[in-house]
Amino acid sequence: MLKTLLDAFALISTWEVIIAMFAASVYGLVIGSLPGLSATMATALLVPVTFYLSPIAAIATIVAASSMAIFSGDIPGALLRIPGTPASAAYADEAYAMTRKGQAELALGAGVWFSAVGGIAGVLSLMILAPPLAEIALSFSTFEYFWLALLGLMCATLVARSSPVKAIAGMFIGLLVSCIGIENPGGVPRFTFGLTDLFGGIEPIPALVGVFAVAQVMRAMLTPEPPPLPRRKFGSIMAGQWRLTKKYHWQMTRGNIVGIIIGVLPGAGADMAAWVSYAMSKRFSKEPEKFGTGHVEGLVEAGASNNASIASGWVPSLLFGIPGDTIAAIAIGVLYMKGLNPGPTLFTEKASSMYAIYLMFIIANIMMIPLGIAMIRVAAYILLAPRAAIMPVIMLCCAVGSFAIGNNMFGVVTVATFGVIGYVMEANGYPVAAMVLGIVMGTMVEQAFVTSLIKSDGSILPFFERPIAAILAAMAIGALLWPVMVWIWRKVKQPQAAAATSR
Amino acid sequence: MRLPDSVTGSFLVALGAAAAYGGWILPPVPGQPVGPNVFPLVIGTGLALCGLAIVFGIGHSFEEEEELVPLEDGQAAAPPPQGKLYGLRALLPPLLLLFYVVAADRLGFIITAAIMVYVTSTALGAKWKLALPLAALSPFAIHLIFGKLLRVPLPAGLLPTPW
Repeated sequence: MLKTLLDAFALISTWEVIIAMFAASVYGLVIGSLPGLSATMATALLVPVTFYLSPIAAIATIVAASSMAIFSGDIPGALLRIPGTPASAAYADEAYAMTRKGQAELALGAGVWFSAVGGIAGVLSLMILAPPLAEIALSFSTFEYFWLALLGLMCATLVARSSPVKAIAGMFIGLLVSCIGIENPGGVPRFTFGLTDLFGGIEPIPALVGVFAVAQVMRAMLTPEPPPLPRRKFGSIMAGQWRLTKKYHWQMTRGNIVGIIIGVLPGAGADMAAWVSYAMSKRFSKEPEKFGTGHVEGLVEAGASNNASIASGWVPSLLFGIPGDTIAAIAIGVLYMKGLNPGPTLFTEKASSMYAIYLMFIIANIMMIPLGIAMIRVAAYILLAPRAAIMPVIMLCCAVGSFAIGNNMFGVVTVATFGVIGYVMEANGYPVAAMVLGIVMGTMVEQAFVTSLIKSDGSILPFFERPIAAILAAMAIGALLWPVMVWIWRKVKQPQAAAATSR
Repeated sequence: MRLPDSVTGSFLVALGAAAAYGGWILPPVPGQPVGPNVFPLVIGTGLALCGLAIVFGIGHSFEEEEELVPLEDGQAAAPPPQGKLYGLRALLPPLLLLFYVVAADRLGFIITAAIMVYVTSTALGAKWKLALPLAALSPFAIHLIFGKLLRVPLPAGLLPTPW
């Protein structure tokens, strides 16, 4: 054991690995902070670079870049209300509200601190909890996946600060968008209207860029320039984080645990972890009315959660070659390319490489604190620039970033279309975040749903027969009926209250 | 663009019904009761039901007024609409993106991007002292990051970059 650990240290303490990790960290921070370039895209763009690196250095770049990118997606979310990654979309409104209140350093500091803590908790789970948890997740059938996905979708309605009916409608619109294309159970062109560009379906990233970034520029066109934020220097970013850690230690732990569990489940990654944790935080908070007005509690829990899921997403990847999320899917490709074939034998035959991966995760998360602070200090200058200088550059980033996803112009058309859709939805009180969630999860929901239906031969009963499926089903139906019950309860209570006051 | 709930709700009912019908007419997989038609059917029905609920105002009591970006008192009172065409300004960003799609291949990235930046910046109230240098410099910066470092094949067009 000790010898393997020493071997692992020897593996990572070469100049190549150290430089690769540092460069990938800076790269991940920059890419993650650009709106529209997700952590997944940052990782994907790294793969050609890893061809030229040794196996450990190649994995080091992926570990470092993905961890950093997930954190730095919070920065534009907090400063401009344009989340850099889908994961930070869950709490971008909250962080932006804190910036408006003059607490930008607290919001971003909480982002970097609780991300680092969450990341390290995720590594510990990778080391200790990995094998048993992965076994449970492996025994999941499509029924469990269906309910799990439904539960994830329901989170959209809990997060939204608007009518739950409109949130569910937004989610359905997103699911409808995910129906477009030929990637469906029959492989027939569906809702493509004869356009070949639509055959591949709508990519989530251009849609996300459209509804968040382009719609934001559109709103800016009609609103007068907001009064400039008071020009003051950012205070200490880390000050107060220890106080928050003590005050919200239970929320932090819960975020870590939820993130770890969601990360381990295949197909559900940091994005879903952030949504679920933010919703949970609001539900169980002692002061839920403060959510959405610039309250740090949800940021603590969601930040702790999404970085924990990054590390634990490697659990099924390393053990069974099943990716925990899109980033892990790219990592698996690199693992195969470098001769570190995923599988249980990786833990016995190449134990030192495994320990090296653990160590790199820990180092990446520790490095995140100083590098993240430096990145926040640089990014804070965005606040001082006039709106007329930032918005045009964001427009350019939208055009080029959406073009870069598939190197075709259709991505730019998608961005423009979703800009209009997002603008109209937002103006009428439909939460766009719910639609984004629907687009991201649509394919997985449909696959789980249709495969389950085929297996059950049209019967509904098998959806509830397995014990874990039954528990998840109860939770999902409860979340679905919750707004209805509250509505009825209010209707019943209102006449009573009126009667009480008139008496 | 604030429309009454009855309008958006009715639109959702129509959209949901169209989706359900569109799913219904899809060819089934031979020998299989469920195929590509089931999911749009479920989604469309759900969307139509949501639309009905919105038309009848269910759940309206949950809505909170948007108070994320409260305007200062003086500015809230100032009348923003200047004629009927003012509202159409919001369409400028998507139109510029479509302009990029049409023009980028012919004019090249640098020129198209400079036009986009200049128009957006001016529309947001920038003086030419800010808009002109911005339009001259930012396309090169973006090209350096995306074209050079990330290897995105941006069209060169009439004005190739020096690198």
